[in-house]
This record gives sequence, C-alpha cells and structure tokens, in this order.
Amino acid sequence: MSSGSTLTEIVINGISRGAVYALIALGYTMVYGVLGMINFAHGEVFMIGMFACVYAMGVFSVAWGDHVALNLGLGIVVAMIFSAGYGYANERIAYRRLRKAHVLAPLTSAIGISTFLQYFIFLTVSKEKVNFPRYYSDWLTSHGIHFAGVQVTYLQLAILGLSLVIMGALYFLINHTRLGIALRATAQDQLMASLVGIPVDKIIAFTFILGSGLAAIAGVMVAMNNNVLVFDAGYRVGLKAFTAAILGGIGNIPGAVLGAMILGLTEAMTTWGFGSQWDDVTTFAMLMLVLLLRPRGLLGERVADKV
Amino acid sequence: MTSRWRAYLLGILGIAALTFPFLWLQLVPDFNRDTIGVAWAPLHGLQFFIDLSPVFAIAFLIWLGVQLNRRMGWSTALAANPTWQSAARRWTHYWAWGTMPIVLSCVFFFSASSLSLFTTVGIYMLLALGLNITVGMTGLLVLGYAGFYGFGAYFFALAQQNLPYFPWWMAAPLAFFLGGGAGYLLGLPCLRLRGDYLAIVTLGFAEAFRELMRNLSNDDTDSSTRSPFLQELAHIFDTGGDKGIILSDHSTFGRMAGLTGGQVSYVITALVLFLAVFLVQRLYHSPVGRAWMAIRENEVAAAAVGVPVVQMKLLAFSLSAAIAAVAGVLYGAKDGFVSPDICAFQQSIMVLAMVILGGLGNSYGALLGAALLYLVPEYLKLMPSIIGGNPVLSAIVPGFVRDSLQHLSDYRLLLFGGVMVLMMLYRPQGLLGSRRRKTEMLHK
Repeated sequence: MSSGSTLTEIVINGISRGAVYALIALGYTMVYGVLGMINFAHGEVFMIGMFACVYAMGVFSVAWGDHVALNLGLGIVVAMIFSAGYGYANERIAYRRLRKAHVLAPLTSAIGISTFLQYFIFLTVSKEKVNFPRYYSDWLTSHGIHFAGVQVTYLQLAILGLSLVIMGALYFLINHTRLGIALRATAQDQLMASLVGIPVDKIIAFTFILGSGLAAIAGVMVAMNNNVLVFDAGYRVGLKAFTAAILGGIGNIPGAVLGAMILGLTEAMTTWGFGSQWDDVTTFAMLMLVLLLRPRGLLGERVADKV
Repeated sequence: MTSRWRAYLLGILGIAALTFPFLWLQLVPDFNRDTIGVAWAPLHGLQFFIDLSPVFAIAFLIWLGVQLNRRMGWSTALAANPTWQSAARRWTHYWAWGTMPIVLSCVFFFSASSLSLFTTVGIYMLLALGLNITVGMTGLLVLGYAGFYGFGAYFFALAQQNLPYFPWWMAAPLAFFLGGGAGYLLGLPCLRLRGDYLAIVTLGFAEAFRELMRNLSNDDTDSSTRSPFLQELAHIFDTGGDKGIILSDHSTFGRMAGLTGGQVSYVITALVLFLAVFLVQRLYHSPVGRAWMAIRENEVAAAAVGVPVVQMKLLAFSLSAAIAAVAGVLYGAKDGFVSPDICAFQQSIMVLAMVILGGLGNSYGALLGAALLYLVPEYLKLMPSIIGGNPVLSAIVPGFVRDSLQHLSDYRLLLFGGVMVLMMLYRPQGLLGSRRRKTEMLHK
C-alpha cells in the first residue's frame, strides 16, 4: 500500500470517527451551555439508543419480516424516541431538583444515573457483547465507493452526510428560530428568561431531548460500524465526545464539531502509528493537556467565576 | 393533590414504557441469516424484581423509620438531650483509645476468611478517608481516585520486580511520599480549573494510567505497538498487561511475631487506618482544616480573607493521593497480586459512593459508608447459607428470597448508582452529615 493511500485512509477514518463524536459532543455542549453542568449520563443515553434500535428491529422482524431499509429506518426512529425519553427522565428525576444546588450535587447525581443505567442494561439485557445483526448492516459496511485508491463504505458516507445535515439543521434551529432564541436566552440567564415569558423548564427539557436524540443516531451508527453493543460502550465513547466538547470549548456548538474532528483525526493517527490499544491513552492525555493549557478550549470564551 | 397523583402515575407509566423492552423482551439472534428477533420473556423481567426484593424491603424499612422519626421527633429530642450531647462529644474525642484494643484483639477471635474480608474493608475505609479530604472537606471533586490507588499498587509491584526482597514496610512510606508527589504534580496545573473540570482531569489521569499499565507488557507476542520507545519502556517496567503482576512472597505480608500472614495484614491495615484517621482529624480541626472548609464554602471569599487557596488545595489533593497510594501498597501486600482492574472507574465510583453515603466532610461518615457499602452486600451473599443452616429461618424464609440474596452481589453497582442519586436528592449531607453541610450542598 502506498503512503498516499495510507494518508487518505487515516483522514477518512478520522473524519468518520470525528463525525460520530461530534453528534455526541453536541449533547454535552448544549446541556453545558444551558445549565452549566456536565451531563455525565449522556454516554449512557447513547448506549440506550444502540440497544433500543436492535430491540426495535427484532420486534419489527417478528412482526412483518426482514425488510432491511424499513426496519433499519424505523429502528433509528425508535432509538431516538427511547434515548430522548431516557434523557428527559434523567433531567426530570435527577437534575431538575438540583438545579440551584452546589456544583457537586448534580454532577454526583449524574454519575449515579450513569452507573445505574449501565448496570441496568448489564443485568437485564446482557453481561456480554451483543452482535449487531449483520443482515441489516452488511450492505452499508461492505459496499462503498472508491476514492483516491481507498474504499469509503456507504456507512462512513452516511455518517458524514447525516452529521453534516444534522449540524446544519441544528445551527439553523439555534440561530434562526424562536425556539433557538428562547434556548439562547435560557442559557444566558434563567431568571430573566422566565420573566419575559420563556418556559424555562420546558426549554431545558427540550435541550436534553434534542441532545439525546442526536446521541441515539450516533449510537446506531457506531453499533453498525463496530458490529458490537455492550453495556459500557457509552462510558468510553461518552468520555471521548466529552473530550471533544472541551477541546472545542464547552458550551460552544461549532467548537464541539471542530474538537470532535481534531480528536477523530488524532485517534486515527495514533492507531496507525502506535497500534489501536493506545487510542485511549492519547485521548486522555490530550484531554488533560487541553484542560491544563487552555481550559476554555479552542473556541471557548473566558468565563469569570461568579461570586 | 389530584394533579400530583396524576403526575406520579404518568411518571411511573413513562418509566414502565421506557424500560419495557429491556425488562420483558429478550433478544433472539438468528445466526444463520445474521438477523435478529425478539421473544416475550416475562420470567426474565420478574426475576429482576425478585432479585431486588431484599433491597425493596430494606428501602421500605428505612422509609418507615424516617416517617416514624418525623412523626415522633426522636432525633430532635436526642440532639437536644444534654447527656447525649456530651457523651457524643466525648466519644468522638476519645474513641480511638477505646476502640483500638477491641479492633486489634479481633485478630484472635475471627477466622482467616473473616479477617481477609475485614482487611479489605479496612483498605476501602482508608480510601474513603483519603477521598473525603478532597471531596468532602475541600469540595474538590476527584473522579479518578483509583488512579492513585493503582499508582501505589503498581509502584510496589514494579519495585519488587526490579529490586528483589523489597519489603512492604519500605514500600508503604515511600508510596506515601511518591503518591503525594504525584498528586502534587497533577494538582499543580489542575487546581486552577473549575470544580467539574478537575473531576474530568483526574478521571482522565486514572484512565490513562490504567491503559498504560494494561499495555506496557513484555510478553505480548501479538502486540501491535510499533513505537520503539514504548517497547523499551515495557522491557524495564513489565506490567504483564491484563494478567497483572504476581508479587513475590518476600515482599507481601508474611509470618511475623507468631501471627500468620492474614493476621499480620489485618493488624497492619488497622494500625495504618488508625494513624490516618488521627492525622486527618487533627488536620481537620487545625487552621488547615478551617481553610479547607472556607475554600469549600466560597473560594473567592476565602481568598479575599487571606486563605492561601492554591497551597491549601494542593495540600488536600496530595495528602489524599498519598493515602490512596499507601492503600494500594497494602492491597498489593495483602493479595500478592496487582492487575489493571484496581484502577478501574468502577473502583473510583465505589469509593465516591462510600464517601457520599457516609457524609461528605465527615471522616467517621466515610468509614461508616465504606463499611456499609462493602460489608452489606458481602453479608447478604452469605445469608443463604446462614438461613439454610437454621431450621426455623429456613422454614420461614421462602426459597426465592434465598436465591435473590445470592444474586444480589451482581446488583452492587446498580445500587451504588441509585444510592448516589437518592442521597443527592433527599439527604445531600450523607448519613452522618451536619445541617450546615446540607445548606451548603443545596445552594450555590
């Protein structure tokens, strides 16, 4: 293999990883932007999306047979609904009452929810890895187009295309709609927003639902790409997406996408240079370096401590 | 009132709908065509609830106790009672002199397996005590505490690999200073970060450390590591990868002064624990402790009145890291085996749950939390054999309860997660927390 095609391979691999991280990182960053808290359970919402999709496809195939496109499409929709439901439930049960509490309280509660959900799936669904049904993902992962001597699978293209469309839609939603204005107002000052008639509770719940839905899409994509589902998948991927969000400047939506792309490319290069078992070390080393050298991230603004 | 009940009903229905597929359906993979189906599995979901039935029973009893207490006002009456007040104060002042002989004499009365269990509890108590310094006293959330624990354990294991006859009594003090140094170095740049960022950096540290220990392996033949530097490093420090390191008998707890290895490990752990409690309590009631408290309550105000915020935070951080490193050495010397699992995230969560359950900022609370969260599941696991041995109990207790008690240790982490959420919602100050701590936690 020539070095040119290796480079292309790294770049394509990195960008498609980055696109997945971006979808998850958006959830972290939106919640942080609005509430100023790290939603530690976001990775678990992503994992729930994976499993909900497989269950839904199972139900559909029992109900009306194996129609690949129909079942997969509906599966993604069901995964989004379930993830959104879990995201909303987390907010309603574990975070809403702690909104005015010390920083430690909601963070601890989020870690609790995250552990709870992981082991709920561990105990009820499977302690082992579950294989994603190949029948549905085969065509997407084994066919593709040739680009500069490298095969790009349809799945990678789909990940990239879907991410671009979603990010565009999100950008439009936040900057050009009434809902987006309400969201930004809530992020700035909850009290003032409520005084001008913005339903703050509903806006915050909406943020969680939106972020969780995006995480579900990422979950299905990752499940198809890696072919396995496991109860602690959300923890690792979630941590990486979180790193991406911090890298770009948490609370900043374009920053999350930029950070995710940088992270994806770095990981692809690490895999190429050192071997895939060093991925995680690089990610965490990068996370620490960014936090130490530029805690506000690449595109973040400096925030003063509130007294 | 009715709208409140309607909200509860809707909530329960919603949760039932969200958990429905995971509880009541089972995945049936079709391996021939690589597709998937589901099957209706009511027993599977029922089993989940049956296994949790002892937990529901305990939760109901706690709820009943809280309600009764609220109606009768027992705790307020007790707190207002002057004899009780002075007794409680005297107890917390002089407890060590009273309990030390009792704890140490246990070594002669318990079996080897119980002593091993108690030693493990002691190590967790040490960890909870150390974590409490940062999370509880100073208000810095550390999520990667197991990283320091693993640091101590691996320091010991790697040192005894390279220096034969390197004993535990030399490793423990060295680990204290090295662990403290590691905490200092990590804390130095981190502590200017805001609370939640600090949590993530420490988490990243623990994960990176764990991955490093997993991958620095010499005998990994199919290793795809291509960097010569890393390969060279693995030659010097061979961690054995996922398989871990088995320590030599010369380094671990052995026979000493007529006691067996297990008894020695119990006595040493107990002594270290007493020393640590004494040290931490002395510090907490000194100006240092006041400074920590001030930082926890309001960092900006503390800095304004002249508290050296950075130094005090660093002290708290490195002290807690040092205690964890010593706990790591004790663990290695007790079990004679160190693997990357000891710095897993679950360990950090477990210790954090202990601190939160016991009471943030209260050393005795941390000890209580560690004892409860470690011993209760262990003893519940032993319950079936106790029930089986007793004819009266085995006649009363139905069989499914016995089975569920046996399964309960699988549910440990699920329960830890639940405990953390419930404590934050209903009793943020923990079991032994003060009212003052509650106000602190509930307001920014």
